[in-house]
Amino acid sequence: MTDTPAAPALDPVALALLQNRLDHIARHMGWVMTRTARSPIFNQSHDFSCFITDRNGQLLSQADGIPIHTGGGGFSVRALIAAFDGRFRPGDAYLSNDPYVAGGNHLPDWVIARPVFVDGTLVAFACNRAHQSDIGGGAAGTYNPTATEIFHEGIRLPPLRLVEEGVMRDDLWALLMANTRTPQLLDGDLGAMLGSTEIGAQKIAETITGLPRDEATAYLDGMLDYGERRFTEAIAALGDGVFEAEERFDNDCFGPADIRIRVRISLEGGRARVDFTGTSPQIRGFKNSSLANTHSGVYAAFGSFLDADLPRNEGSFRAIEVIAPEGSLLNPRAPAPVTMCTVFPAYEIIHACWWALGQAAPERACAGWGKNSFPNSSGTRDGKTWVMYHWGGLSGGGAVAGRDGFAQIGPLVTLGGLTLPNAEVYEQLYPVRVLRQELVCDGGGAGAFRGGTGVHYECDVLTAAEYSFRAEGTSRPTGLGVEGGSDGARGRVALREGAEGEARPMPDYALSRFGPARLSMTSPGGGGYGDPFDRAPEAVCRDVRDGLVSPAAARAVYGVAVADDGRSHDGAETARLRTSPG
Amino acid sequence: MSWNDKASNGAGRGADDESLGREWRIGVDIGGTFTDLVAIAETGALRIAKVPSTPDRPEQAVLDGLDALAAAAGETVAGLLAGCRLFVHGSTVATNTVLEHKGARVGLIATEGFRDSLEIRRGIRPDPWRHREPYPPVLVPRHRRLPVGGRIGASGEELEPLDREALDRQIERLLAEDAEVVAVSLFNSIFADGQERAAAAAVREAGLPVFVSSEIAPVLGEYERTSTVALNAYVGPRTARYVSELSDALAARGLAVPMLLTQNNGGMITPAQVAARPASLLLSGPAAAVGALRHHCDTIGSDNLISMEIGGTSCDVLVMADGEVALTDALDIGGHFLAMPSVDIHTIGAGGGTIARVDAGGMLAVGPEGAGAMPGPAAYGRGGQEATATDAQLVLGRLAPGPYAGGAVSLDADLAEAAIRRCIAEPLGIGVEAAAQGMIRLLEQKLLHALEHLSVEQGHDPRRFTLVAGGGAGALHGAAVARRLGCRRVYVPRLAGAFCAFGMLHSDIRHDTSRVHISPLDSADGAAIASRLAEMRAELAAALAEAGFAEPVWQYGCDLRYQGQQWDVTVPLGASFDLARLREGFEQRHRQLFGHVQPRGTIEITRLRLAGVGPVAGAAPAGPAPAQGDPVARSHRPVWIDAARGRCMAPIYEGADLAPGHAIAGPAIVNEQTTTVLVGAGDRLEVDAHGNYAITLDADAAEDKR
Repeated sequence: MTDTPAAPALDPVALALLQNRLDHIARHMGWVMTRTARSPIFNQSHDFSCFITDRNGQLLSQADGIPIHTGGGGFSVRALIAAFDGRFRPGDAYLSNDPYVAGGNHLPDWVIARPVFVDGTLVAFACNRAHQSDIGGGAAGTYNPTATEIFHEGIRLPPLRLVEEGVMRDDLWALLMANTRTPQLLDGDLGAMLGSTEIGAQKIAETITGLPRDEATAYLDGMLDYGERRFTEAIAALGDGVFEAEERFDNDCFGPADIRIRVRISLEGGRARVDFTGTSPQIRGFKNSSLANTHSGVYAAFGSFLDADLPRNEGSFRAIEVIAPEGSLLNPRAPAPVTMCTVFPAYEIIHACWWALGQAAPERACAGWGKNSFPNSSGTRDGKTWVMYHWGGLSGGGAVAGRDGFAQIGPLVTLGGLTLPNAEVYEQLYPVRVLRQELVCDGGGAGAFRGGTGVHYECDVLTAAEYSFRAEGTSRPTGLGVEGGSDGARGRVALREGAEGEARPMPDYALSRFGPARLSMTSPGGGGYGDPFDRAPEAVCRDVRDGLVSPAAARAVYGVAVADDGRSHDGAETARLRTSPG
Repeated sequence: MSWNDKASNGAGRGADDESLGREWRIGVDIGGTFTDLVAIAETGALRIAKVPSTPDRPEQAVLDGLDALAAAAGETVAGLLAGCRLFVHGSTVATNTVLEHKGARVGLIATEGFRDSLEIRRGIRPDPWRHREPYPPVLVPRHRRLPVGGRIGASGEELEPLDREALDRQIERLLAEDAEVVAVSLFNSIFADGQERAAAAAVREAGLPVFVSSEIAPVLGEYERTSTVALNAYVGPRTARYVSELSDALAARGLAVPMLLTQNNGGMITPAQVAARPASLLLSGPAAAVGALRHHCDTIGSDNLISMEIGGTSCDVLVMADGEVALTDALDIGGHFLAMPSVDIHTIGAGGGTIARVDAGGMLAVGPEGAGAMPGPAAYGRGGQEATATDAQLVLGRLAPGPYAGGAVSLDADLAEAAIRRCIAEPLGIGVEAAAQGMIRLLEQKLLHALEHLSVEQGHDPRRFTLVAGGGAGALHGAAVARRLGCRRVYVPRLAGAFCAFGMLHSDIRHDTSRVHISPLDSADGAAIASRLAEMRAELAAALAEAGFAEPVWQYGCDLRYQGQQWDVTVPLGASFDLARLREGFEQRHRQLFGHVQPRGTIEITRLRLAGVGPVAGAAPAGPAPAQGDPVARSHRPVWIDAARGRCMAPIYEGADLAPGHAIAGPAIVNEQTTTVLVGAGDRLEVDAHGNYAITLDADAAEDKR
């Protein structure tokens, strides 16, 4: 270990207590948010993050939250400080969302930040970043696949003082409510954000008051230094070297396009430089990534590649330098649209970093998770609007050494944190009949550890409905294998209107309307890890017996001569298959 | 049967030397480390025994424990069992079957298209960041999860009849795959169970035992229902075998009454009922804490209690508010989902054996790993090298060297100090004393955080609660944690070390059931609800009658939510359907839990609930004779009290010397047979009429917010 800062002379017990307490407070804010928010996006999908920064906007704790928000909040608070420095007052609360002027990641994620004071001195910020149900813009529900400028994506909020010394600015509140299609949800959800940060701010103040006098700053810095030591050490363990990788899009949301995400990761002495130079220029569609989101994607990639126990605070991130050229897909100039970025290209950023890092530490390499199709159907019933996301068609996860890919799992950008719904529950909520959600034979990429299979998903939408299609992973495999593992199968999204005839493939990005229809999806599979010939023959037999690998693939891809019922294999024949050339 | 007679409420003053008399009750709780037994006679006389658990053959510890209990009572085992009028057992057999992956070869019959919900698990994992960790193996591998055609619609209409030919074919396949037991879970079966029943009949005809999802877990959601019925099938054969063999062994030794078991909801259940719902035992031991809390509502004079039971490896936390313990339908057992009404108990990896470490970045961390029974804390001298909470307590003078846990082990202070020096003090560059203090403060912070979480989740203000400290280690931390939580009182039962075994003797016979019933509240059909409830009563009546309760107490409930919400709020329902009262009850609870109501929101009913309770009179141990004179400390030693006070010369009392009416001002230590009580500076301990310890906390003591 080199170049790591020496631990300052702090009471190590007090420091441990402080770290645990701030993590607990971040989680506590999350429980309050979950319990008090109105919309299912929070109390069911947990699409929000509670975090704490120091007085300079350095992230101290984000124990609660989704991976693709990792570390992004610091950008918001630093933009807030730039706008209001010296004018913060106890009892204030601030709101922002804009990626270009307020350090936001995308417009739907609103940030409430509350300055925390102890003895009249600003010491920290208690914050909550949460995805709102609707913020105006060109499509209900915040995702407008036809957007070509950020103005098509909803209301833009620079840092705003929403609460002044405990008093709500009613005029501002009315402006916000006038800019959403669902004011009753926004009203309740913003209230929950304010409530959770208020409780957080109070607990942070109590905690800092309890620190040794005049040493609060030293202890907060101590937490950051600790994060830096742990992260630096973990990166140093990967060894030095320069590693390159590439991911890509096949479309710009409007038509075929060759769009590249290139990364060059240089590891040296426990530091990582993550350079995206060579990445394609910004595009017309809404898959550009704001700078905050690009950083979050990199932090999520490192955090998940390295040990899950590592602290993920701004001290940790000092070990990582991110270079994203201005005007590129990963640091666009205004007014490029960006709303899709927390999924695509967040997937691509994480994959590219994983694959570069995997070259440094093959034993930790992570195969790609199949990218997702996110169609949703919406309509009106009994005068009320319903919007249903077809989460039942989510993809298979990639394998790592030691485990096969998850058969079907929530999106990579949540590291699977998004919980899949029950089909029975959806049938009660929406006019649909789900027919199938079943694992795919030969869908998972082959490997010593096999990729997740993905599913066949079929759903009858019983009434006329609008469809919003947002899909990656249909034109080619996206769950790429590593260390000799194969790619997972590609996906398919098709629809048949009416009761007869063939299902037609759907475009990747589109808004459409159909009468009663059957949606059929095959989700992309995850990639495999390691040479399929290294997979234990017993595991291949089990897969055949379970109908997840065909006997033909067992023979051709895994080199295992499995009996058709999967109960046994011919050892001599397997040995011959696995040693014969080609 | 005799336990439903309102008889044995010990009024007499049974001192320890008094004989058990002629009739008594016995509770047996198998824990990870020790098996606890408690006998309470109708006279109020009390005997306890503690023997090491025998995980490979759990019944052995029960029989060993009976030998020990008989010896303590001056009886033969035959005599002890012959006089036993109520025998209640909390068993870990079902839980261990799951955790050790030793369950049956289960076959699953599922609706075409949905056989994989059990393996997909809705993608739920405890911590997304730990993506390298695989799921525990699926309970039923795919080659034994077989689809059949047939489809029920969302309103219970049959869209497609059950494919009988496919069913017969799949049953043949399961027989060929050597399935021992079958679970049937068909899509939307809770709205029409005809197809499930038909499929189950066919399986039975083929000679295989079968569990049916709509009977076992009538909940909406194919994953939760399938997982629950599969868990029942998985633990079924082994659990039933254990229960019947132990019943036979007890009968052969002279037990004249049927053995009862504690089930997930905290109530008692007969062996036959266990066979029908074997997963009812997955929370068997810890759920008995409900009985203990119920008993202590009376002795404390409050029905707002939080129990914190700390053993060797973990801490179980439970809240009783207004005399009721919340039930949950969402339980995680070894990574598998169980949707059966269960006591909402939270378990944290914090106990006497919890290990402290210094990580690569120089940060002190405590738990969740523990040293277990073997090797246990370093101080046990069984080869443990790591520093544990017990080692820290010993270094800080809160525990004394020598015999510990009723003499089951002996504590060696040199070994404890060496472990803390090597593992904590030297890496941190601080002294052994400071390291031990840090370990305790971190452990207590963890307990505090767990209790804060539970309070937020259940919408309670902990300041209104009394903290009941149970388990061998609970009373060492009770006062410190309660103070930070804002509680004013801590209560330590003298039987803290046998908290659940004691609780079993205060459990009711109780059965819960529910039905999915979806309807807007305003247009709810009262008659339809009444007939549903009647159907549910009929379902439970037989089980209660079998236990001797022809006229049980019925508790009705109803789950409600605003349309579009995913979480339900359970509201009590009177015997008749009263719309206005329900709305009021819902809004009150919603405000308590979520901080708001939605005046324009549509409230909908999602579920009807029913509990049938056969009340069992409590068996209160007789309080000891009142105090004569002042309490006398046996000795004094320097004890580290808290961060503010540091070490103080504290008096050490023996529990046997303390009697009702005695009061002790902290700081002080009380040694009990199964626990150690730490009384903080400024706190006041009083022995109540029942011989238990009631501690009033010093309201002015500085709160350590960290």
